Amino acid sequence: MIFPAIVVIFIFNYIPMYGIQLAFRDYDFSKGLTGGAWRGLFYFRQFFESYQFMDLMKNTVAISLATVILSFPAPIILALLINQVRWKRAKKTLQTTVYLPHFISIVVMVGLLNVLLSPNSGVIGHLLTSLGLGDVNLLGSTRTFVPVYVLSEIWQHCGWNSIIYLAALSTVDPQLYDSAKIDGASRWQTIKHVDIPALIPTIIILFVLSMGSVLSTGFEKVFLMQNALNLPVSEVIATYVYKIGIISNQFSYSAAIGLFNTVINFIFLYAMNRIARKSSDISLW
Amino acid sequence: MKKFLAGLSAVVLGAAVLSGCSGGGNNTDTDNGAAGGGNTGKKVKLTAIMTKHPLTQEFAKMKWLQEAEERAGVEIEWQEVTADWDQKKGTLLASGDIPDLIVGVNSITDADFSQFPGLFQDMTELIKEYGPNVQAMFDAKPETKVIATQLDGKIYGLPKYQRYWPETTTRQYINQQWLDKLGLEMPTTWDELYDVLKAFKDQDANGNGDLNDEIPMDFAPTGTVAFGAFMPTVLLGSEGITLTDNSGLGYFVEDGQVKNFFTDERYKKLVEFLNKCFSAGLINPEVFTQDYTKYQAVARGNGETAAVGFTWGWEVTDRVGNALAPQYTSMSPLKVSADSTVQNSWSYDYNSLNYGVNTVQMSAASKHKEAAMKFINELYDPEVSMQVLFGSLGTNIGDNGDGTFSILAPQDPAMDPGTWKWTSSWADNGAMYIADSLKLTLGTDMQSVGKQTEPLKAALDSIDKDNDVLPSMFIKYSAQDNNTMSLNNTGMMSLALSKWSQWITKGGIDSEWDGYVKNIEKTGVSKNIEIIQKYYDDYKSKQ
Repeated sequence: MIFPAIVVIFIFNYIPMYGIQLAFRDYDFSKGLTGGAWRGLFYFRQFFESYQFMDLMKNTVAISLATVILSFPAPIILALLINQVRWKRAKKTLQTTVYLPHFISIVVMVGLLNVLLSPNSGVIGHLLTSLGLGDVNLLGSTRTFVPVYVLSEIWQHCGWNSIIYLAALSTVDPQLYDSAKIDGASRWQTIKHVDIPALIPTIIILFVLSMGSVLSTGFEKVFLMQNALNLPVSEVIATYVYKIGIISNQFSYSAAIGLFNTVINFIFLYAMNRIARKSSDISLW
Repeated sequence: MKKFLAGLSAVVLGAAVLSGCSGGGNNTDTDNGAAGGGNTGKKVKLTAIMTKHPLTQEFAKMKWLQEAEERAGVEIEWQEVTADWDQKKGTLLASGDIPDLIVGVNSITDADFSQFPGLFQDMTELIKEYGPNVQAMFDAKPETKVIATQLDGKIYGLPKYQRYWPETTTRQYINQQWLDKLGLEMPTTWDELYDVLKAFKDQDANGNGDLNDEIPMDFAPTGTVAFGAFMPTVLLGSEGITLTDNSGLGYFVEDGQVKNFFTDERYKKLVEFLNKCFSAGLINPEVFTQDYTKYQAVARGNGETAAVGFTWGWEVTDRVGNALAPQYTSMSPLKVSADSTVQNSWSYDYNSLNYGVNTVQMSAASKHKEAAMKFINELYDPEVSMQVLFGSLGTNIGDNGDGTFSILAPQDPAMDPGTWKWTSSWADNGAMYIADSLKLTLGTDMQSVGKQTEPLKAALDSIDKDNDVLPSMFIKYSAQDNNTMSLNNTGMMSLALSKWSQWITKGGIDSEWDGYVKNIEKTGVSKNIEIIQKYYDDYKSKQ
């Protein structure tokens, strides 16, 4: 039964890899993807020596790390909370309510942010002013870009991501809860000694997986939230590749940057997996 | 089970093959395979893509287009693209499978021609044989041939010439009613402007009792890629810098020398002035975060009370709406200070407003090149071109019967003439040649643009077109130079635009200036200036 899956992966993920060589060649339309002159590491060097390299790396790492570190625990906490709700119907309603934002498209989401956070007319902008926090332009400041990005990310996907944890929690043997009760465990103790241990394997696997995308910030959202004021922190590898590769057709250069990005991600994934295997015997491989 | 798996992998493989080669393309199954079946009653079927304005109606409703196809003996299957062309284009060209014609100003760039050799048809011979109207344009306006000719001497894309457009995109407006109400004089210098804006802010200029709803100054959002029109960079004219075509990347020419204003002391002075205005609350606090739609909406206010005091735009009704337009007046360029002896200049955009590169291209793989050229030739007929730009005869243009024409008012009275034009036809995105001999009375919108440009006329007339204007329109860069420049420009604009907005909103230009200039140098701006200078000198030597 695994055969069709292998076929699909092979066709769509392994065969296209021959295109990676574009990063080491000049792009030559008339000779096809693999016919350009061999340039070796020229395009990689061009990227490392480019004026923006350090800034791009710094911004990309900052945004991704903040996203991973802050948005990783949120769905776990949410799942534990929802799991505590005793009343069936309320639980269902709550679950639906929190995972709905996941289906808002990114463009609409950024539009919402623009409307809500606008200092002149936005609800949140007014709220901050009335709290005496002054006129902070949340959309156009280097200090607030990352928090706004991460918090809106959490708000949008937290409910959706909690589903897998809820599923893991539903497999816990009810007898465990009953015996915990008989032993006089409080709610908090039940969570600590029954729920969390049940989630640990899921948490570790998902964390290792999320490390594999540590440098892949969501291009669309960053790009849409960009403006001249937050550019120093919002220019990331993905947006740079778009500006250089798509807008000015430098295919080899953008392929090289993309490959570099993937290699860094792979190193992170590999390292995290090793750490997980050494420390807890739970790992991807 | 085995059978099932075999079937499944066949499906998977089939899907892979399908997605591997892009669907759609030149499956033009015509009855007469032979080219030249032009007007034998059988129509030649062609495919075409046009990048049109989002407002533009379906092509099937354009009478002039149907007639032009009819006369050329072709039937064109149009694909009308309004968004994301940049993303679509890359994949389309890389697949090598393009339609017979691609229409739309600069929809295919010179860089694309050099990057995808052999994809587009060199039209030099075809024009000689089947393109008398195109030839007529080249003869009457030799510069159009310069625009069309690539470095290798071939012609892959044809230009447009639309003649009637003004010398600049940006006009400067101030609310005259507010000035009168507060008893203020029309400002003539930056300092006077500052005082006027301050009064607008402090004295409830629109008289609605709310002291905080006036926005003394507003300008178009800067974006993250380049400067554009309607931005305060036009004030650099007060310091003698002549911008060309908005100078989006900062390059300009002074006495035959190519320079970049991002490292120019005069730019520093402008930013300091704007920071002074911003700190005093005279500039819209959202000026860098709002988008263009909001910029336009803010100026329209609630339709009764004006909100903005001083701003830039294309034309006053377009900028503030019909209801508020009477309150505003177009104003002359400002001097830096009363004792300044610098000759005021202004952004000179005549070339980019009246000419356009690569408005129509032909596929080298097309089976019906002759028919395609006949159709292109139709577009360049002066009377058809007029309809390409303004809309069909009868609905948009009136024939006065004596060889003269006039633009008709919009059929929908609530619509402004500009919107009507963009709705009805290809407008400025099309391929056209508006001959100088054409006798056409323009619509009210273009007439007002002309009137509102008058206060800028002295400054525009003073510009030395030979030594202070960067003729980007007529320069073709080699692929290598183009790549070098776009890499450097991407880095430079990222730094320059973020500093520009940061210095205006928070200040600090004085202490950071020297370090910033060094950094701008690091992005390779000198190399770019060197490249542009080389091509500019070469262009000049051929004049």
